[in-house]
Amino acid sequence: MIRGRFGAILAVIAACALLLGACGDDKKEDSGGSKPAGGASTSASGGKKLKVGLVTDVGKVDDKSFNQSAWEGVQRAQKELGADVKFIETTDPKDYAKNIETFANEKYDVIVTVGFGLGEATAAAAKKYPNIKFIGVDQFQAESVTNIAGLIFDEDKAGYLAGALAAQMSKSGTIGQVLGTDVVPPVVKFGKGYEAGAKAVKPEIKVLTWYHPGGLAKGFSDPEEGKKQALQMISQGADVIFGAGGNTGNGALLGCAEKNVLAIGVDTDQYLTLPQAQKVLVSSAMKLITPGVFDIIKGVQENSFKGGNFTGQVGLAPFHDLESQVSQAVKDKLKQIDAGLKDGSIKTNVKV
Amino acid sequence: MLDVIQSMLVVALPAATPLIFGGLSGLFSERSGVVNIAIEGMMLAAAFFGFIVGVRTGNLGLALGGAVVTGMVMASLHAVLSIAFRVDQIISGTVINVLAIGLTGYLDRKLYPSGAPAGQRTLPEIEIPLLSDIPFFGEILFRHGVIVYAAFVAVVVAAVVLYRTRWGLRVRAVGEHPLAAETAGISVYAVRYASVIAGGALAGLGGAYFTLQSIPQFQPLMTNGRGFIALAALIFGKWTPFGVLGAALFFAIAETIPSTLQIQGVHSIALEVAGTTLFDVAIPYQVFGLLPYVLTILVLAGAVGRAVPPAAVGQPYTRKA
Amino acid sequence: MPAPPPLPPARRHALIDRMRRVRLPGLGQSILVPLLAVITALLVGAVIILVSGGNPVRAYEGLYEGSIGCPGALSGDAGIQVTRLVCASSVTDTLITATPFVIAGLAVAFAFKGGLFNIGVEGQLLAGSLATVLVGYKLDGLPAALHITLALAAGIAAGAVYGAIPGLLKAYTGAHEVIVTIMLNYVAGTMTSYLLSGVMKDPRSGAVARTPYIDTAARLPDVWPGPEMLHLGAVFAVLTAIGLWWVLQRTTIGYEVRTVGANPHAARYAGMSVARTVALTMAVAGGLAGMAGAIEVTGVNYYHTPGFSVGYGFDSIAIALLGRAHPVGVIPAALLFGALRGGSSRMQFLTQIPVDIIQVIQALVLLFVAAPAIVRWLYRVRQRPHTVIEERPEPAASV
Repeated sequence: MIRGRFGAILAVIAACALLLGACGDDKKEDSGGSKPAGGASTSASGGKKLKVGLVTDVGKVDDKSFNQSAWEGVQRAQKELGADVKFIETTDPKDYAKNIETFANEKYDVIVTVGFGLGEATAAAAKKYPNIKFIGVDQFQAESVTNIAGLIFDEDKAGYLAGALAAQMSKSGTIGQVLGTDVVPPVVKFGKGYEAGAKAVKPEIKVLTWYHPGGLAKGFSDPEEGKKQALQMISQGADVIFGAGGNTGNGALLGCAEKNVLAIGVDTDQYLTLPQAQKVLVSSAMKLITPGVFDIIKGVQENSFKGGNFTGQVGLAPFHDLESQVSQAVKDKLKQIDAGLKDGSIKTNVKV
Repeated sequence: MLDVIQSMLVVALPAATPLIFGGLSGLFSERSGVVNIAIEGMMLAAAFFGFIVGVRTGNLGLALGGAVVTGMVMASLHAVLSIAFRVDQIISGTVINVLAIGLTGYLDRKLYPSGAPAGQRTLPEIEIPLLSDIPFFGEILFRHGVIVYAAFVAVVVAAVVLYRTRWGLRVRAVGEHPLAAETAGISVYAVRYASVIAGGALAGLGGAYFTLQSIPQFQPLMTNGRGFIALAALIFGKWTPFGVLGAALFFAIAETIPSTLQIQGVHSIALEVAGTTLFDVAIPYQVFGLLPYVLTILVLAGAVGRAVPPAAVGQPYTRKA
Repeated sequence: MPAPPPLPPARRHALIDRMRRVRLPGLGQSILVPLLAVITALLVGAVIILVSGGNPVRAYEGLYEGSIGCPGALSGDAGIQVTRLVCASSVTDTLITATPFVIAGLAVAFAFKGGLFNIGVEGQLLAGSLATVLVGYKLDGLPAALHITLALAAGIAAGAVYGAIPGLLKAYTGAHEVIVTIMLNYVAGTMTSYLLSGVMKDPRSGAVARTPYIDTAARLPDVWPGPEMLHLGAVFAVLTAIGLWWVLQRTTIGYEVRTVGANPHAARYAGMSVARTVALTMAVAGGLAGMAGAIEVTGVNYYHTPGFSVGYGFDSIAIALLGRAHPVGVIPAALLFGALRGGSSRMQFLTQIPVDIIQVIQALVLLFVAAPAIVRWLYRVRQRPHTVIEERPEPAASV
């Protein structure tokens, strides 16, 4: 009987051991990948296999938000440049440095750190490992360091366009926005830009604004609360709602879908990421992290990497299913605003 | 003003739903003498597995069943641990909470590395004819999803079961005087198993609210502490079905106040008497955010006072051997 | 935790017979069972990883390398490298992670001893961190010993006050500590978020919501010189655990806390002030949680930032229960959690499996430690269904 029971456990271990076969292959594959790269780190130029690591902010690489967008950029580097890619998800802010270090110790060529929260840890690591290139998403570089590229965005401009669209689409004269935490500046820039854009085209418009009070811990991961606020705004007459705050914002978009109220997404073209909201999603205020990250990684590959700030693209996503509902006049106005924002003749006047 | 209050109440009812189910889940468990701090874990697991069943089968009925069964399975674990293995009930509850968080987080990622598939529908929303047209109250009370109505039905059913049936009497007897109950020929263990597992089914419905009614998505940790607020509602409601209902509504409405103030752009509190401003203090919205919690503490300490739990749950952590 | 009841003599003999090879004296047993519990939890965790398409061997290599060994000690190309099985950097990392776990675990364990369930560690920890960081960056020019003492004292005091609120409310109005501590967690979280992005925000931190760095004089010195820094807080944690054990076992106050916890009615009959003891117990528990926050601020982060107390509320409960609410038992429990958390980064690096598996393993460890009967059944006892029935206490005693 004793043997029987231990037998069962042994069977489990045996099963694990069976896997060892597969694991052995795995290992070979892994070392196969890492060896040439390790050897190649001496020959910095030409034809080497880039090793790219990504460290998330507190959050996961499938958050349908900035972590995921950045990871998709890294994955694109894997596909198109043949890079070796891995990620580590941060569970506690005090692990930022340690997680970066894990990649640095393995002699990764590029380390992508996602989120303004990792700014200091990234700067410290860049000083310690001058041969590694760092890409800091949402990390503004006050002074240029040769091995950090800060990928930043003018979220206020994207928000401004979204607000201009919302105000023009609104019939009730009330629009709303459901935002992630205001602890995060890009979110505030989206929000203030939205309001400014709406007021610019319709000075009398009423803008209902809600920030998630839960800080970083909950601000982006509370779809239930986001939906609630959208419903409340709809009940108060809002007929276009901007959802900008990871899954909290997505909750608002889903609330709009339920009540058939127009919605505007954020970061990526959410028509593609949130199919349930397609029928009400008029556009998204995009902040193109994925191509931004990819382009900088490509720069490393091509030896054209430079430190400093890189401003990624922002803009509105296509109207998709609601194309016909957006009048030509509105489209023209948006085009004119977009051009104005680009050449500087229109200012959002948003300071964060 | 009235439309603002209306909009608050419109969202309060759905928000109260998981609290009601969670509170009733704890109610059955604790009235039979088994402390249940695992409501959160049961709801989270039910939200996840109900969602998975829905995604895999495309059938919301099955999904709802999946959620309920998940709640019951988690509750069975709690029952077996705390009744058969006599594990401390708080430990057993903690095991379930941590397990649910870990397992749902892990499987969610493992099954859907780039986010769960979309396109899933939610349970229907029902506008009750005629009633939903009543001004003001119609929108507040009679335009909701099926699980929201079910929560209110569940309160009534729970009250009837607990106070008007033999089984309910047994549950209460076992929770109050297990020794006497056992002497009277009631199997304390059988009643406790049944109560805890019935509570699991209710928590399962509470979990279903999140992924099958409110948001057609699963999000790690999406129950967001609702299970603990439900536990608070249970204690606040003094371990009675209608008490739970009242407490759940209280929490739900109180939690809507700060967001309403924020949406309305209220940034300060001012008092104006006869045309002169006595004071006008700017208040950041986060401070309004404290309101529901501070209010709860005040009400609890002032008006509600001593909550008397079922006697056998009186020292819930030391169920004697 | 109720001790397993004695088995009937006949069965006991049969049992002892059967388990002769692994029979150990009392202490051995109390180490063996948890050890087997941890192994079982890891095995079950391996099965879960396996079934879901991951590689458990690789995962555990990573876990080991991240918490004790050097990177590549097991997973490297050259096979197992014996000389690198222990790495100072990994071990200190585990110890640093375990330090707040020990103290926060004590905050729950101590309340348990007094019959109270402290779900409020998260809020108390935040209150302590806020006070410590304030003293840490507002004052300067003080001698280090004084500044550190003040900073820690501020944190402990703030935590104690924050813990005393539910204690006093429980004692004098009957408000249930579970509700009040849950509510106070929300209050502390919201206030922290507000203060750190507002008045307490470092103007030089740019977009980042955090306080200024604390004065260098307010930072805990390292006890392990060299690049692998281990701060003095780890020593404090161990001393606190031992001190708390001494207080509980050897002092009148400790005796009162335990008596009130075990049986408030008896305590009242014995002339103890139950209300005062309840309030005191929560204040001490809160002070401990505050100390955990204070030590993180002065020993590790040197500043305070929202999201800082991620998961401490949950982990501290689990750790206290794992250590069976025994002050010294909390230490190995915290070390285990520290190792799991510390190793998770390396684990994910090697396997790319979701780190959430760590929580599954933690829950399983807790489960198997809490229900030793399961472990005994798995590894020794023969006819389990009977054991369960026979271990069932007499109905009279059971309720």
